[in-house]
Amino acid sequence: MKLPAFVRLTIRNVHVNTDPGTLFFMFGIPVFYLFIVGIMYQGLISTVSQGSYSVSYTAFLAPGIVGMQAFTAGNIGGGMLWADRRWGMFEQLLVGPFRRTEYLFGIIFLSVIFAIGGSFIMIILASVIKSATFNLSILSYVYLVGALILGTIFFTSLFLILSIKARSMNAYSTITFLLFFLLDFASTAFYPITSSTPLALRIISAGNPLSYIVNIVRDAMVYGITYYTLEELGLIALLMTIVLSFSVWLYGNIKTGIQ
Amino acid sequence: MLDDKGYAIEVTDLVKSYDGVKNAVDGVSFHVKEGEIYGLLGKNGAGKSTLIKVLTTLIPATSGSARIKDLDIKKDAIRIRKRIGVVQQEESFDYASVEKNFDIYGMLWEVPKHLIEKRKEELIEFFNLGEARKKRAFELSGGQKKRLQVAREFIHDTDILFLDEPTVGMDPVMRRDVLNFIREKLKDGLSIIFTTQILEEADFVCDRIGIMDKGKMVAEGTSRELKEKFGTMRKLVIGIIDPPNDKLSESVFNSVREIAGISHVTVTGREISILGSNLGRNVKSIIEIISSMNLAIDHISLDVPSLDDVFLEVVNK
Repeated sequence: MKLPAFVRLTIRNVHVNTDPGTLFFMFGIPVFYLFIVGIMYQGLISTVSQGSYSVSYTAFLAPGIVGMQAFTAGNIGGGMLWADRRWGMFEQLLVGPFRRTEYLFGIIFLSVIFAIGGSFIMIILASVIKSATFNLSILSYVYLVGALILGTIFFTSLFLILSIKARSMNAYSTITFLLFFLLDFASTAFYPITSSTPLALRIISAGNPLSYIVNIVRDAMVYGITYYTLEELGLIALLMTIVLSFSVWLYGNIKTGIQ
Repeated sequence: MLDDKGYAIEVTDLVKSYDGVKNAVDGVSFHVKEGEIYGLLGKNGAGKSTLIKVLTTLIPATSGSARIKDLDIKKDAIRIRKRIGVVQQEESFDYASVEKNFDIYGMLWEVPKHLIEKRKEELIEFFNLGEARKKRAFELSGGQKKRLQVAREFIHDTDILFLDEPTVGMDPVMRRDVLNFIREKLKDGLSIIFTTQILEEADFVCDRIGIMDKGKMVAEGTSRELKEKFGTMRKLVIGIIDPPNDKLSESVFNSVREIAGISHVTVTGREISILGSNLGRNVKSIIEIISSMNLAIDHISLDVPSLDDVFLEVVNK
C-alpha cells in the first residue's frame, strides 16, 4: 500500500522522536507533575473552589497536565524544523520526493499525534488517582480534542517561528526554556487564578493561551461545558489561525541552499 | 558507446544569482549522457554546489533552462525529485541510529521492507559501518557520517545521482572502494554528476569533466581531451638542494614571468613546479635564472601535464 508523502513524513517524525529523551520530556515530566506534585499538594490543598464547584486538587491539576500536552507536543513538533535544519535533513528532504507543504503537514501531524496520545495517557493515569474523578461525555470529548488540536497547532506554529528565527542553538534553547516556565507556571494549569492572585500574574495568565486551553480541558473533564467554554475555544481558534498564518508565511520564505 | 545514448541532463544557459548582482552560476550549458559519470571541478566558490542545488530543484534558477530525464526543473520539480538521489556537501542525517537512518530513508522513498533489509545489510557491510550500526548518527566520526550519507542514497532506486564531494573525510582505501562502487552502479543505467576537489578522483571515475570558474564552465571534455587540449602545456619540475624560504615560489615566479607562456609556479618541499606552454624551448633560460638566484639544482624533469595541471592552467587564466 502506497502511503501519501505527508504520512511517510509523519511516520519518520514519530520514529525520530521516540528516543528516550523526547519521550521523557513528553510523558515523564507530566507524570511527575501528576503524581508527585499532585499527590504532595493534595495534602496541603484538599479542595479547589471555583464558582459553585469544589474539586480535589488532583482533579483540578489533571486537566492542567492534559492541556500542557499541547504545549509540549507543539514544542517537539515545531522543534523538528530546527533539528532538521541543524542536521541537514530539511534540505535533504526537499531534494527528495516531498513538497514543502507535505513537510509542514508531517510536523503538524506529529504534534497532534503526540498531544492527543499524551493527553489520553494522562487522563488514564489521572483516573487511577483516587481523589480525581471526571465527568466525560461525548460533547466533552469533542471540546477536549478540539482544544488540544487547536492548541497544539498554535504551539507548533509558535515553535516553527522560533525554529526559523533563532540564529543559534543557544538562543533556541534559552527561549524554549523561558517559554516552558513562563507559559506552564503562569497559567491556570497548576493554580486557580482568583481575585487574591497578584495582579501581574493575573494579567500574564489572562494573556497566556495555555490558560484558555487548560480552561477548556478543565470544563470538559470537570466543570462541564458552558457558553464560556465555546468562547474560549473560539479565541484559541483565532489565535491559532493568526500564529499559523504567520509561521506558514515565514516557512515559505526559508531560503534553502545558501552556503 | 556513450554517444549512442540520450541525455540524462541537459543544461542551457543556466544562470543563478542570489543577489541579482553577481551570478553564482553564470550562463552554464552542458549535458550528461545516460550512463555517464560527469565530473564538475572548480575551486571553492566556483559555483559547483549552487549548480547542483539548482539541478536538484532545491533552489530556483534565475534564467536559462535545464531538463533532467526530459523533465523541466521549473515545471516538473516533484517528478524530478522522485527520480534523483542527492548526496549534499553538507552533512545530513536523522537523529537516530545508523540502522534506523537506513530504515527511515527507505520508508520515505517507499522501498519495500524486504528490500530495505537486504540493501541495508549490503550497504552497512560494504561501507564498513557494521561496528557503528547501533550508534546514533551524530556520534559517528566525520568519515563515517559521510559514508552513511553516501550509502543511504543507494537504499532507493534512482536514475540520476548527484554527488557533491562525496568522499570528503574518507580514508584513501575507502575512497577508492566507494569510487569503484559508484562505477559499478553505472551498469544499472545510473547517470551521475560528481563534484570533487580531488582531481585524481575525477580522472579515475569520470567519463567527462567540466571545469567551472567564477560561475562559468571554462573547459569541458574527457580527461584525455582536456590534457590534449592543453597539449602544448608542460610541467617543468626542478629539484632544489636547499630551498631558502617560504616565499620561494613568489620570487621564482617574479623572476621567470618575463619568459613567454609561464602560467603558474608552485613550490612543494624541495621541488619547484613551473607550468606553462612551450617550456621545452625555455628550459635553458629558466635554469639560468634559477642558478642566478643561488639555488643549487638537484634534478630537472619536463612532464606532460596531469589533470591537476590542466585545472590550474584553466582556472588561473
